[in-house]
Amino acid sequence: MSRTHVSCNINGEDVEFLTADASSLLDALRNELGLIGAKEGCGTGDCGSCSVLLDGRLVCSCLVMAPEAEGRDVVTIEGLAEGDHLHPLQKTFLEGAALQCGICTPGFLLAAKALLDANPNPTETEIRYGLAGNLCRCTGYDKIVKAVQEASVELRGA
Amino acid sequence: MAEHRRFTGGEAVLEVNGATVGAVINELEVRFPGLGAALRAGSSAGINGEIHAEPEFVAVNPETTIYFVAPLAGG
Amino acid sequence: MTATENPTGYKWIGTRPVRHDGYEKVVGKARFAADLDLTGQLYTAYVRSPHAHARVLSIDTAAAEAMPGVKAIVTGADFPDLDPLDPNYDVSINVMARGTALYHGHAIAAVAALTKAEARAAAAAVAVSYDVLPAVLTIDEAMAEGAPLANEENYQKFAPPGDPTNISTHTPLERGDAAEALAGADIVIEREFDAAHVHQGYIEPHACVVDAGLDGKANVWCSSQGHFMIRAVTAGILGRETSRIKVTPAEIGGGFGGKTTVYLEPVALLLSEKSGRPVKSVMTREEVLRATGPAPGCKMRVKIGATKDGELVALDAWMAYSLGAFGDFAGMVGAMSVASYKFPNLKLEAWGVLTNTPKTAAYRAPSAPHAAFAIESVIDEIAIELDMDPIDLRLKNAAVEGDLTAMGMPHPRIGFVECLEALKASPHYQSPVPEGASRGVAAGFWFNIGEQSSATVNLNEDGTATVLTGSPDIGGSRASMALMTAEELGIDVYAITPVVADTEAVGFTDVTEGSRATFATGKAVVEACRELIGELKIRAATIHGVEPDQVEWIDGAAHVEGKDPLSLAQITEQAKRTGGPLTATASLNAAGAGPSFAVHCADVTVDEETGQVTIIRYTAVQDAGTAIHPSYVEGQMQGGSVQGIGWALNEEYIYNADGVMQNAGFLDYRIPVASDIPMIETIIVEVPNPSHPYGVRGVGETGIVPPMGTLGNAIRRATGVRMTSMPMSPPKVLARLSENN
Repeated sequence: MSRTHVSCNINGEDVEFLTADASSLLDALRNELGLIGAKEGCGTGDCGSCSVLLDGRLVCSCLVMAPEAEGRDVVTIEGLAEGDHLHPLQKTFLEGAALQCGICTPGFLLAAKALLDANPNPTETEIRYGLAGNLCRCTGYDKIVKAVQEASVELRGA
Repeated sequence: MAEHRRFTGGEAVLEVNGATVGAVINELEVRFPGLGAALRAGSSAGINGEIHAEPEFVAVNPETTIYFVAPLAGG
Repeated sequence: MTATENPTGYKWIGTRPVRHDGYEKVVGKARFAADLDLTGQLYTAYVRSPHAHARVLSIDTAAAEAMPGVKAIVTGADFPDLDPLDPNYDVSINVMARGTALYHGHAIAAVAALTKAEARAAAAAVAVSYDVLPAVLTIDEAMAEGAPLANEENYQKFAPPGDPTNISTHTPLERGDAAEALAGADIVIEREFDAAHVHQGYIEPHACVVDAGLDGKANVWCSSQGHFMIRAVTAGILGRETSRIKVTPAEIGGGFGGKTTVYLEPVALLLSEKSGRPVKSVMTREEVLRATGPAPGCKMRVKIGATKDGELVALDAWMAYSLGAFGDFAGMVGAMSVASYKFPNLKLEAWGVLTNTPKTAAYRAPSAPHAAFAIESVIDEIAIELDMDPIDLRLKNAAVEGDLTAMGMPHPRIGFVECLEALKASPHYQSPVPEGASRGVAAGFWFNIGEQSSATVNLNEDGTATVLTGSPDIGGSRASMALMTAEELGIDVYAITPVVADTEAVGFTDVTEGSRATFATGKAVVEACRELIGELKIRAATIHGVEPDQVEWIDGAAHVEGKDPLSLAQITEQAKRTGGPLTATASLNAAGAGPSFAVHCADVTVDEETGQVTIIRYTAVQDAGTAIHPSYVEGQMQGGSVQGIGWALNEEYIYNADGVMQNAGFLDYRIPVASDIPMIETIIVEVPNPSHPYGVRGVGETGIVPPMGTLGNAIRRATGVRMTSMPMSPPKVLARLSENN
């Protein structure tokens, strides 16, 4: 089976890996690189559990072919905290009980980061639409929306 | 349970002696052949406001009312 | 143990600490079932039936076995034949068909290969020939005279041996004389209802890793609501000794009832044995939708009679649930949840009906949402007819302690009236209905269950505690266990490590279902803590040279008159000198689960051009008994509400005429997203359950019961149209609106 060599930057570090051409970025992250934070909930781009940032843009990593990451910057949930400092979103999700089972949480955190990077002071409606590509079946979204609101206040104050 | 009344000739309320639910069921089987087996195969018992899923050895006294109910499940 | 009637004064109960398993989940380190890999593992792919009902004439695996990377293939022939009366019989057939495919997607064979791609290619090369049989897809078809059989092996439970039938259960319940009471009622309202199958929709597909050895032992890592259940059912299906299988629970990515049964593990175990290698098996989303438990669909007729001043005098209900191709669904009792009201006269017939659709599984308060949709809709019609406030009508008839459930047993202490009063006094209900909107109210409850739980509490040498239970944590129960331990022992909640332990590290524990974890497992944790406190007093007495009965345990320390208090840490660090490690275990079979009632209220607008229903405000009120961790109680209420909203307004299995699900993906089986809904306001009512040391009632399931009636009632009041078919999706609402015009 032919394998492609990919060089990219993941969470601030230059990384090289070999991947099958037909492999998704999600599979490469999970199986080649041991980054299991991105989850496969559907494999068709409908649930957002595999969300990562590709050159700062929110994508479903199950819909990106692994070789497409060549030369690009990837941020996964493993790269959201800075050293031992949790990102404000991680803190507000924890303090606001914005996760129950937690399978969708990595995807929501990255979707929320992409939203706040683009719009630091979103309305509730903007948050709800900004997160509409991510499915959560446990929380009813209430506490997730509130956690994003609180993180946006903290990020703007900082 | 109403589906068991076919064993009892339609009776829904019965007076039975026994020190445990199991003894009561044995007595019911003697009086209504088939009823005991049906109760053991698929019913819980409500006793003093609490539901017991496997009530065989739960103690009862002459004042106790036992409600045989469908086994409860959950999600 | 009795409940504390005054829940104030707790130090930890009712607080909101960050959950102990939270950090790993926000940094991406938490390990769910698909996140574990073993060296040398194989991957699986399934061959699934393309027909809703077909005889399997032959399965030829020769070509597939010769393909690259293929290490093992199993079919139904690899499974032992169980006695049809074996409790695992239906599940055994469901995990792998034996001779007959009973629904589209039924497993026919499974392949293990070096890569996923090789497994998929080999599965496609397995040649199966079928003789297609007539498929029974709806309740009407299944119950029709002379209907073809959905499953030739189904015999109605408890019926005398006879011909197989499409009926699995028939539960008639009766008290008083419903017919006479209805004849004498001032008003009688009757409606017919139906609902489609819906899926639990957990975001994590089923997954496991199994490593079976030649010595007959097997290690299983998987995501489930009960790893002891996985062990027992896997052993039962394969005819193995239970204790030879060790199941280690992974984090579980949602279950909602759908992970209370087994799909992959016995198959993966056989593949691992055949290949001599570990096997990782992960379902696709399409497989989850086609082959794992939806909730039943239903068809119902409900007739309720009332006096002109709003006393409900009789209920006559006929309820049929489509259970899929097997009859062993245990959730029929949901039909009994009609008895939120006193109903002096009641006639209820509940039917479990077989269809050639996937085997249904429990889904939060299994089968109660259907019944509540029907009952609460008809009650709302009575309120409209009598021009009564819908809460007042319910208050007038609400069941209280001592009133009879549909099954005939009196309700224990319940908080239905308290919930109704709380909603009536709520900011939402007190506010005027917004212009252009309308308001609906409905109620519901779930019995909840107790079952068996075990807990071990180990005090560590540094004065902290490790709490081992066998209850998978599907919604924050570890935090609840830690809070109850902190309250009992008097130490900081973060000094406690709650662990969901494997089948070899803790005593047997039943599935996390029936809203039982915080209730029953919590009760075991409290019992173990109380035993430990007794031992801590003995150790303190030894240290001080007094009798144990001179020691009092207050706020995390042993107090003896005239001595400095000894903290828990001071005692544990001297454990070696005073008798060894401090540890206690409690196991129980909990009776006395307290029913949890809920009342919901929604303000909606209905777009008369599109039929789209938009929820602009939503409030959920629920009796938690005592809220151990209020944030996760709210989370259960909010999550259940939104699942119910999805069920009510949008979700459905759409089958074609051949019984093939047409929307087997999250794009077309569309569960609610954040932009579909408003905030879900919550009001926690606390009527303590007398059978729990802190008064806990389970809260996990009830929240899904009222939304359907709530939204149907709001739509009725907005449009004058009574929606009787779920989902109340835009095309159906629009069709009813145009009929009405």
